[in-house]
Amino acid sequence: MTYSSSISTNKRRFESRHRNAVSFREQARVLGPITNTVLLLVLGCLLGLFYLSQVTKVNASGYKIDSLQKEYTALQKEHDELELSAAKLQSLDRVASSEEAQKLVAVTPTKTIR
Amino acid sequence: MYYLIVVVFLIIIVRLFYLQVIMHKDYKDRAFSGQYKEQQILPRRGTIDAFDGTTRVPFVLNEDTYTLFVDPKYIKEKDRTSEKLAKILGVNSKEIKEKINNSETRYVVIAKRVDQKKKDQIEDLNLVGVGLRTVPMRSYPNGNLASQLLGYVDQEGSGKYGIEQYMDGDLKGEIGLLKAVTDAKGVPLINNKDNVLKDAKDGKKILLTIDVGLQKKVEDTLRDYLPTVNSKSGSVLVMDPNTGAIKAMANFPTYNPAEYFKVEDPRLFQNATVADPFEVGSIMKTLTMSAGINEGVVNLGGSYVDQGVMKIGDREVKNVSGFQNRATRPITDIITLSLNTGAVYILQQLGGGELNEQGRVRWHNYLVNHYRFSKTTGVEQGYEAEGYVPDPKNGFGLNIDYANTTFGQGMNITQLQMTSALSAVINGGTYYQPHLVASTKEGKANVDDRVKVVAKDVVKPETSSQIKGVMELAVNKSYTFLKRDGYIVGGKTGTAQIAKPGGGYYDDSKINGTFIGYIGITKPEYVIMVRVNEPVVPGYAGSKAAAPLFGRVSNTLMDNYLLSKTN
Repeated sequence: MTYSSSISTNKRRFESRHRNAVSFREQARVLGPITNTVLLLVLGCLLGLFYLSQVTKVNASGYKIDSLQKEYTALQKEHDELELSAAKLQSLDRVASSEEAQKLVAVTPTKTIR
Repeated sequence: MYYLIVVVFLIIIVRLFYLQVIMHKDYKDRAFSGQYKEQQILPRRGTIDAFDGTTRVPFVLNEDTYTLFVDPKYIKEKDRTSEKLAKILGVNSKEIKEKINNSETRYVVIAKRVDQKKKDQIEDLNLVGVGLRTVPMRSYPNGNLASQLLGYVDQEGSGKYGIEQYMDGDLKGEIGLLKAVTDAKGVPLINNKDNVLKDAKDGKKILLTIDVGLQKKVEDTLRDYLPTVNSKSGSVLVMDPNTGAIKAMANFPTYNPAEYFKVEDPRLFQNATVADPFEVGSIMKTLTMSAGINEGVVNLGGSYVDQGVMKIGDREVKNVSGFQNRATRPITDIITLSLNTGAVYILQQLGGGELNEQGRVRWHNYLVNHYRFSKTTGVEQGYEAEGYVPDPKNGFGLNIDYANTTFGQGMNITQLQMTSALSAVINGGTYYQPHLVASTKEGKANVDDRVKVVAKDVVKPETSSQIKGVMELAVNKSYTFLKRDGYIVGGKTGTAQIAKPGGGYYDDSKINGTFIGYIGITKPEYVIMVRVNEPVVPGYAGSKAAAPLFGRVSNTLMDNYLLSKTN
């Protein structure tokens, strides 16, 4: 080894020793059993609450549907009754015996040649 | 002490295991049965509409009525309850009290067919032990109109007779089903995956071909006319020969379909025009002549030797008095003078000049295959009859039997069969399916979409023209009171003997009068057949009892319906 190469080698060693280096030390942060249990319970409660809220919502919709169906049936019944009343009012016997009809006079059709 | 606690806990655990695991299904089912409810969803019966001119009008509708019932166990104040109900129902309170007291059951019907107004009044009373059950009923705004054509709907919701019976499958719809877990009030909870909902399918809405105004007029005319000829019953049928649509179908006597349960004689339910085949008499000669012309064995411009009286086997066929001498006559006289021996002459010509099997078979072919007798027409009516045409090859006295059929005796057909056959003959030879239902499609369409051609070769078009000519000639010569300038009117009378149930015929004091004809402006637009049962009139029933009724109906049509087309 020459003198110059010896200096060069030592310099690299020195540089190597004082070079900036980043190192990571892995540190495992494991939740304890109590925390896990609590978290699971909270999660379970949240899911339960969500489920209950949805069930309640669906059931409430059921009541609304039932109410609307009843309303629909009632309206349909009313419609049928009105249709029936209209038909009765327009029945031929009723029209023929109406006050207005009594005032009418039967005529022979003028455009018919007998 | 420690062991005691352990034993107690063990007992509890075992018991819980038994209840919750082993008996799980049983208790679950029991709990479910209280919550899980199953109910039928009843469909609404289809309503029936008809034509009023060109518009569609409701004819048969539905109406809720109520059956009032009580549970005597819960009625503490029987006098008070009876009095309150009696006041609303308009009956004697003693009757109601008796029903409540004398009943051994817990379901006592107090009144049926309670209307909405009374139902509301009863509900307002809040009486304990009193209930109302909804019973849908048919409602007929026009009362008795077309009752036999319509039929009725019984308490079980089944159609009986007429359209209601024939179209019951379409009208009643399909029952729906709801199986669901419910709350305490019975409201279904929809979040259950086991719920079953099958919606009810309402019955189809039917549009009839009949015209309400015409039907009313024809029924009134029939009712008012029959007493004038001392007849107790009769029928009128009006058909459009160019479509097969029935425009009016009237019978007398009639009944109120809303009160069908009050009818004592079930024959009143029958629509005689389709369910009561009879011997139609000389109106059949129009069809005999059509067969003869169509087969080329007679010529309307020709003549023949009429025997006046013909001996067939040990029986005689005679013409009406005044025409019983042997004479050479125009062929048209067979129709215009209604000559029985002339009709038999046509049968002879079909057999090559004599009464024989060949002639019978050819005539039978026309009766059954061309005119479609002895089979139902398929019109939308319950209890349609087939009628009867004798076999041309088997039996005794076939020649006299077949001779009789040429002038409408010895065979039974319905008024509808006769009208349909003549319609085919005078419209150029097309047999249209006779129908009463114009449409079953949803919506408010007012068109007849059920026009159907059954056969196109009933007779040749030239035969059709010739028959129209001779039927118009008959009106011009013998029934001039039916004529009206500007219109074509053709027709033929029939005076038919009535067969006795045990064989043979009643004497001439018991006969039916018939008339079949058509009216139109440039072509036949309505075929009308009338039937007057056992009239008591001087002269022949066909000309004295049936023809005037035809005239009243044809004048109604010309005054109201055809008149609009002449403008």
